[in-house]
Amino acid sequence: MAAESSPPPPYKPYRHRETLTPHSRAISCVKFSNDGTLLATSSLDKTLAVFSVHPILTPTPLSTLIGHSDGVSDLAWSYDSHYICSASDDRTLRIWIARSGESIKTLRGHSAFVFCVNFNPPSNLIVSGSFDETVRVWDAKTGRCDHVIRAHSMPVTAVHFNRDGSSIVSGSHDGSCKVWDAVTGACLKVLIDEKGAPGPGVSFTRFSPNGKYILVGTLDGNLKLWSFSTGKVLKNYTGHVNRVYCITATFSVSLSGKYIISGSEDQGVYIWDVRSKALMQKLEGHSDTVICVSCHPMENIIASAGLDNDKTVRIWVQDA
Amino acid sequence: MNVSIIDPLQGDFPEVIEEYLEHGCMKCIAFNRRGTLLAAGCANGTCVIWDFETRGIAKELRDKDCTHPITSVCWSKHGRHILVSATDRSLTLWNVVNGEKIARVTLQHVTLHAYLHPGSCSPSVSLACPIASAPVLVDLITGSTTVLPVSVCDTGNGVPPQSRNKFSDGSPPFTPTAACFNKHGDLIYVGNSKGEILIIDYKSNQVCGVVPTSGGAVIKNILFSRNGQFLLTNSNDRTIRMYDNLLSQKDGPRSLDEVSSSCDGLEGIEKLKAIGSNCLVLSREFQDAINKIQWKAPCFSGDGEWVVGASGSKGEHKIYIWDRAGHLVKILEGPKEALTDLAWHPVRPFMVSVNLSGAVYIWAKDYTENWSAFAPDFKELEENEEYVEREDEFDLVPDIEKVKESDINEDEEVDILTVEKDSSFSDSDMSEDELRFLPAIPCPDEPEQQDKYVGSSLKLVDSNHSGSPLSEEAGQNGLANESSPIEVVGNSLGDDTDAGTSSKRKRKPSEKGLELQAEKGRKQPIKKIKSSSSKSSKSKNRTIEVLETSDDVIEVLQ
Repeated sequence: MAAESSPPPPYKPYRHRETLTPHSRAISCVKFSNDGTLLATSSLDKTLAVFSVHPILTPTPLSTLIGHSDGVSDLAWSYDSHYICSASDDRTLRIWIARSGESIKTLRGHSAFVFCVNFNPPSNLIVSGSFDETVRVWDAKTGRCDHVIRAHSMPVTAVHFNRDGSSIVSGSHDGSCKVWDAVTGACLKVLIDEKGAPGPGVSFTRFSPNGKYILVGTLDGNLKLWSFSTGKVLKNYTGHVNRVYCITATFSVSLSGKYIISGSEDQGVYIWDVRSKALMQKLEGHSDTVICVSCHPMENIIASAGLDNDKTVRIWVQDA
Repeated sequence: MNVSIIDPLQGDFPEVIEEYLEHGCMKCIAFNRRGTLLAAGCANGTCVIWDFETRGIAKELRDKDCTHPITSVCWSKHGRHILVSATDRSLTLWNVVNGEKIARVTLQHVTLHAYLHPGSCSPSVSLACPIASAPVLVDLITGSTTVLPVSVCDTGNGVPPQSRNKFSDGSPPFTPTAACFNKHGDLIYVGNSKGEILIIDYKSNQVCGVVPTSGGAVIKNILFSRNGQFLLTNSNDRTIRMYDNLLSQKDGPRSLDEVSSSCDGLEGIEKLKAIGSNCLVLSREFQDAINKIQWKAPCFSGDGEWVVGASGSKGEHKIYIWDRAGHLVKILEGPKEALTDLAWHPVRPFMVSVNLSGAVYIWAKDYTENWSAFAPDFKELEENEEYVEREDEFDLVPDIEKVKESDINEDEEVDILTVEKDSSFSDSDMSEDELRFLPAIPCPDEPEQQDKYVGSSLKLVDSNHSGSPLSEEAGQNGLANESSPIEVVGNSLGDDTDAGTSSKRKRKPSEKGLELQAEKGRKQPIKKIKSSSSKSSKSKNRTIEVLETSDDVIEVLQ
């Protein structure tokens, strides 16, 4: 425990600032770009929308990415914030130029809905997870599929690269969360909660910013922080509802503290303190399940997206 | 990052050819400092930069002036510049990021090896070892050259005038001598034709120490290990010699001064030899007594644990690996074409070799399944261990479970931010400025192919809108949680659209991979979208249950 000479600054609550309705159907994902200037959303209405959120925080629509023939489940930004890769139910992934909306590449190979996608930090590789129970690693430049990993026995719900791009974590409805070597495709480690096997499906997983911890959300309302090296659960964040959907959670790190933010099926956005696991705030306003949250990379701004009865993207900022 | 989990017991050197890269006729190769990019000089004068992670071409450096075969390639320390020497006697300095030429110098003779000064971030000085004369230091911006002394008598009273702008015509021809910088570039080590290693101070251009090698054979190659602690020489007497570098890494000249002041009693050559013996100590000699191989492209492994020598004579492609104690641990044999160049990856157990026809082979460790990865409580044992039961093993309610809850330290600080420095790089601090990757710009698809596929996929979607066709493999075998070895994929139509380059890559699965493929009945490597239409009749019952747990159900149910 770090010796704190000054107490941490008091928690500043977030308040609602903006509402956007860019889509005609449920929104599946919302993400800020890595440079903090753009916000992208994807939806079951087969399109993605890109907003500019810089310099003033009034998101202005920039482009609409049209091309998929079925709903889009996930999107990922490339590291330089130029490209977006989207995962769709039409079994393909597409790479778009974010600002112009042009689709430049289509990655084919999955035999079922593609559910989740992510770039590696150098953005020369793309990892995708699909309902065909495989995880695929693609070369971003040529579109070749480098590896097909037969990862799970049920749909893969989340894939994420770690900080240096050497490992991939994948979670699936079969209840397991596995770590793979990005270069060879070999399995490095398996994290299954020992108490419940087969346990509740894993709805979401990602690495911590330094790659040492893995955040795993399961369909029994638990959001656990695992230590990658020891394979033990360190923290468990509860209070939200997660039984059906694959709700994303994210780390929020700033000078004011480290938090974990997650959506919930009770229409709120939950914010927990990483260390104490205390629920700091619940943001209300959506009228349906909050399926996805994203934190601005530099400032304390949260974007959250809701499902069909809501169809909005809400922006939350802290009081100055 | 994976280093902590990967089994440390396996030998850390590559054993099988994993892949080969082809792009024109490549002649020489060099890794950048982190091993993320591989530069290859080609016979047509262009320099190709491969992204080692994706095994694809990241950039090509070409220019209308550079049309002659390249003899050597060298990266700058931060990976932003590449120095290339070619058979038209030129040295060219490239900026890697924008692919433009910075400087070009033409020398008197063709350079065999050229090195950039390793100490600075944007180097402009290079050390060139020409084919038929003494090594020179070339300032790439001004074009001035400084000839290095190659024998001890040069440092006597009659020092021949160091010509600045032109090569002194009166100098006698030398047989090729080898030279290299030490780790920080403040000392230059020259191996001359008398078999002596000369230690030259970079700034003063004076020979400060001499180390004679036994036998006095011409030294063909001289190089340091990555950490600067070991020196390797390759001599004409078919022996590779390894020396321990006793000088401190941080300030070579100063520790050299200290050594020289301790030898004050001696004069002239004797003094230089005494100094030399305090700087380098011969620790091992490597040779093949049976075949008497003339070694080619000797080098160290990234961590300095292994010494590698290659043989390209008689058209063979053999790589010998010794450990530092001198034992020959492995002989790797490549495809039947002579080897021309070799490089070891700076951090990972990969090796890259070039053959005569210009293909680059990537050697890697043999892939073995790590079975202990498949379940969290699996542990690999070296040998049979007697299992000792716990006291409460057969109790209905073992005590162990009761204490489990309190093990988790509830309020423990969880550090999700700090990143440890990578110990294999001594000065990772300045890595902010380093170029590790070239941005991967996706190549746009061909427009016709896109339209064709959109048409067909729409048809398929309409016919199976109530379920997703599961892949064949899922139902077919019980390999539920197993990861498959590297599969030969890449046949999907419409994906290979790099029309501009003629590169291709092939992957040879290791033996084990081939076995496993044979087991599975050889059906899966071909993944084409058209064939999936035949799978639409597959079981859909499972999919309904599965779909309910995702947010995609909304669309389906409606």
